[in-house]
Amino acid sequence: MSNKTVVSVVLGFMCMALTLGICIQIRTVKNSNSTVSQNYEENNLRAEVLKYKERYDNKYRQLEEAEAQLEKIRENVAENDAGLEEAENKIKKANKINGLSEVTGAGVIIKLEDGKKNPMVLNPSDLIVHDLDVLSVINELKNAGAEAISINDQRIVSTTAISCGGNIIDINGERVGAPFTIKAIGLPEYLAGLSRVGGYLELLQGYGIEAPLEKSNNITIPKYNGVINFKYMKNVK
Amino acid sequence: MIFIAILIGCILGAILGMNAPMISYTYSSYLAIAIIAALDSVFGGIASVMKKNFDLKIFISGFFGNAILAILLTILGQKLNVDIYLAAIVVFVWRMFMNLGIIRRYYVEKWTEKLTKKEK
Repeated sequence: MSNKTVVSVVLGFMCMALTLGICIQIRTVKNSNSTVSQNYEENNLRAEVLKYKERYDNKYRQLEEAEAQLEKIRENVAENDAGLEEAENKIKKANKINGLSEVTGAGVIIKLEDGKKNPMVLNPSDLIVHDLDVLSVINELKNAGAEAISINDQRIVSTTAISCGGNIIDINGERVGAPFTIKAIGLPEYLAGLSRVGGYLELLQGYGIEAPLEKSNNITIPKYNGVINFKYMKNVK
Repeated sequence: MIFIAILIGCILGAILGMNAPMISYTYSSYLAIAIIAALDSVFGGIASVMKKNFDLKIFISGFFGNAILAILLTILGQKLNVDIYLAAIVVFVWRMFMNLGIIRRYYVEKWTEKLTKKEK
């Protein structure tokens, strides 16, 4: 009898391991590529892209950890030295100006969403949020005194370009698609002036694009996650 | 007894698998080949029961050994840029069909025996 119990326990354990593996595998595959192509080559490429994306995400997390560590070390060192503390404050200020640090404050959130089908609109292109629309809104925000702006978590910095990339928009070289959530930190009353009569948002709404603006006291804007390189610019002596 | 244990194991595994954390896509191909290898051992085990030479030690070692070996071969193949896992799949599935054939033959023979006995 004891032999039989051992056999049944072992078999039960194996079945558990097998079904566990199958369930995890099914869920992983379901999560990874919803559109399975019959093309072998294409599947391989897709798997490769997914792998690289994963590796990139891992490395990026490592980088963030290292940066947090660096920050801590710098703060520790600066505590004991007045000169260093000043330098530390300078670094922080420069990071804030360059958009290299996460910032929070009061401001507005604008959502730009493609308009729904409307028989009154003859040109379907009018219903789409274009790169120039986003650019104009950003320009108006800056004009109203916005200190930090992000579009779908892409921080607007001094080197940011906003360009058309087909059915998406290229911002900071990253592909960003509609709907666009534009966050801006600044005096909310000034920034809310964007929705004034005759403003650009009203123009967009006239085309059928949905562009609600809401004030908020607590907006967090992520830091720029690229690298700003200056190769040709030199100091004048 | 054994069937109850298998059933409980299957249900437990399914519930655990539904709630387990998802593995990253990089390792899903290894898990897939391990599943195929394990399935092959299961069918091999059933077939050996019918042939009446079932040995638990061989079954356990085959279940885990084959799975681990298949994973290692897949990793080696990726390092050498040869799709070794294709060969592993071919071999495992082929053996699965062989074992399924043995199981099928066993039951068909049993059935025909019963029928002939009835006729007599």
